[in-house]
Amino acid sequence: MKLTGPLERVLTVMIADPSAPHYGYDLMKAAKLPSGTLYPMLARLQQDGLVEAEWEAQREDTAGRPPRKYYRLSAEGLRVARLELAQAASSAPPRRAGRGAAWPAPGSTR
Amino acid sequence: MSPEPRTQRIAGWLIQTVCRRLPADVRAERCREWTAELPAILDDQSIRPSFLRTLRALSFCVGISWTARQLSRSARAASRRTRNTQWRTGALRTRPPALAVRAVRGLLIWLVVVAAVLGLIALLRTRGLPPSFPVVLVLALAVGFDCFCLADIARAAQVRYLPRWAWVIICLVQAPLGGIMYLSIGHISRARSGTIR
Repeated sequence: MKLTGPLERVLTVMIADPSAPHYGYDLMKAAKLPSGTLYPMLARLQQDGLVEAEWEAQREDTAGRPPRKYYRLSAEGLRVARLELAQAASSAPPRRAGRGAAWPAPGSTR
Repeated sequence: MSPEPRTQRIAGWLIQTVCRRLPADVRAERCREWTAELPAILDDQSIRPSFLRTLRALSFCVGISWTARQLSRSARAASRRTRNTQWRTGALRTRPPALAVRAVRGLLIWLVVVAAVLGLIALLRTRGLPPSFPVVLVLALAVGFDCFCLADIARAAQVRYLPRWAWVIICLVQAPLGGIMYLSIGHISRARSGTIR
């Protein structure tokens, strides 16, 4: 897994409370990412088994709102995310100072 | 506050439209997931004034269109990998020929067709038929073949290498060659496409 800027932000949001489920728009707002970046990333993470998705149970108090799909880190995802974020934090200063664009800047979509 | 129903309807329709390009097995679920996000966007009171929420919903749809493109691309790549594995394990009788082989085969077929048509015209001239007859015959053959290719493009679950519209243009612009190239390169035969349909 290559830790890109957007991925780092999504993992940071999800790792803040690993048990809390997030729906797409919630993650978009928290990680400040457009839908065109977030959903392909979630699909990849889900395919790699790092993120689990589940449908919201239909409840009475949703006022007719359709059920949402919620995402959360799997046990493996939590382990990988912690490791990757820790590595990114330790190598952050040289990466920012370096001339190479090894990772796209946060905010760049692709 | 209830979200603007008209915006939600339009955005829902947009999402449904872009979901059509997704593989059939995930289409309905993805469509349901993304449509379910719309109320949250249109109800988001942190975005003011309200027309900005509409813009946000529309930009969400643009991103969904990009996502659908990405997902269908990776599904196609996965199905290609599956086909290759199937060939190795013997599930497919023959290995799908390489692109260059198919292109050369297409060109050869085209040469044979052109030679056959020219021969037919020369033969008809000796029979004392009206001079317009060979022209009408060739036109009818070309139109018939084009119709066949266009119908095939329209009905195929998947076409290869180029998007459908590009194959349509190629078939129309270069009447026999375009169609032959589509059939030899872009067309996926029923026998081989069992796994990806």
